[in-house]
Amino acid sequence: MNITVAGIGMTKFGELWAASPRWLASEAVHRAIEDSGMEKKSIQGLFVANMLSGMLGMQGHLGALFAEELGLSGVPAYTVEGACASGGLAIHAGMMSILSGQYDTVLVLGVEKMTDHKPELVSSALMGAGSNEERLTGATFPGLYAMLARSHMEKYGTTEKQLAAVSVKNHFHASFNPLAQFTHPITIDTVLKSSCVADPLKLLDCSPVTDGAAAVILTKKVMRASSGVQIIASQIATDTLGLSGRKSLTELAATKIAAKKAFQQAGVEINDIDCAEVHDCFTIAEILAIEDIGFGNKGEVGPRMEKGVYTLGTAARVVVNSSGGLKGCGHPIGATGVKQIVEITNQLRGACGKRQVKNAKCGLAHNVGGTGATAVVHILKK
Amino acid sequence: MISPVKIWRNQQHFTKLIGKTGIIVSWTMIRVPPDGFSEQAPYPLAIVRLDDGTHVTAQVVDWDISQLHSKQKMITVLRRTIETTADGVIPYGIKVKPI
Repeated sequence: MNITVAGIGMTKFGELWAASPRWLASEAVHRAIEDSGMEKKSIQGLFVANMLSGMLGMQGHLGALFAEELGLSGVPAYTVEGACASGGLAIHAGMMSILSGQYDTVLVLGVEKMTDHKPELVSSALMGAGSNEERLTGATFPGLYAMLARSHMEKYGTTEKQLAAVSVKNHFHASFNPLAQFTHPITIDTVLKSSCVADPLKLLDCSPVTDGAAAVILTKKVMRASSGVQIIASQIATDTLGLSGRKSLTELAATKIAAKKAFQQAGVEINDIDCAEVHDCFTIAEILAIEDIGFGNKGEVGPRMEKGVYTLGTAARVVVNSSGGLKGCGHPIGATGVKQIVEITNQLRGACGKRQVKNAKCGLAHNVGGTGATAVVHILKK
Repeated sequence: MISPVKIWRNQQHFTKLIGKTGIIVSWTMIRVPPDGFSEQAPYPLAIVRLDDGTHVTAQVVDWDISQLHSKQKMITVLRRTIETTADGVIPYGIKVKPI
């Protein structure tokens, strides 16, 4: 099923007051096309990943909108929505369109504009990813993940300090990423002393509200060797929309299923993965992801996180979230899953500069929607 | 804004959910509420396993901090939920109360 990542591009992630969604998209796509060395006219399909435009910006029909903006009018264009997993789903949809034989080369664009709106509205709109039952209770995403965190703490003895270590690691990694939202390292103490959002999660346990876009050009054409990163597995799994339908609150079953199928499809082992971008919308989410993908046993990842086992430059078996993850690099919802592919591609090309994982040959991207109602896993190799 | 028709439709189901008992499986305290819940914050939220084995996610009412822990016995009650909108329909829903 090998599909080549022909070109990648992303904008700076952050509070970009002056940037419109159109500008963000143009910037990311311009960089991706330039990176690919291809001509724009070779793009035969456009897949746009976005969650909030309809709810916050009252703008739907993003396929045609961005086709127009990018000078691709006439090209078939789709919008893919799967909450925070929209980006991963759009990559999957783009790949399927190539594998179907319909297109040779497609563009996947993830874009989100969040900072135009007041926090309560963003919070309510994000709850569109949860169940109606949850919305009526006044639940928020930090609140739902906080309940997952508490269950994990009670079952495995995971501590607030271990959760904080995720945030410290990801800020540290982000300090080497000029496109990240936060480029300042933080300490365990700063995280623990930050204001409480939903007990036991504090402000610095949570990914931020971010504007940004990321773009990937996928092709079945054989590319020059220097940019020959391929996606060798793409798998999706779903689970109940709300937490009350789950069998367990200490794992995301969708992640387990998608990861297992992806490893089978790719024909690689967990030990082959050198770098992974996982969905750390909250610190507990990264611990769940590392466990559920299989990089560590249940209950052992918290203590290992504190020891720096997943940190760059520590002889880590696998470096997790070298980009800074959602916590450090930022989390423009629809762009996140696409950005993960951008980061892993850069790692496999050896183009990550100070945050380069040595001899990275195989990488994994893990994107989650809601509290695990959708999980997408991609495996890439050079 | 929630449509009055949607409120009416949802409320058809509530009667069979009232008066059920169960225990807290996990809980949190919402300190940064979504739109429509500002007047109630901070408020606890819990996932409760009912005696029939099903789970419900609900806001906790009439609570004391000593009652916010797993295995605390709870009962489902009918309460006002989100702030009333311009339509004037008062939305009710299921919440849980320590017993």
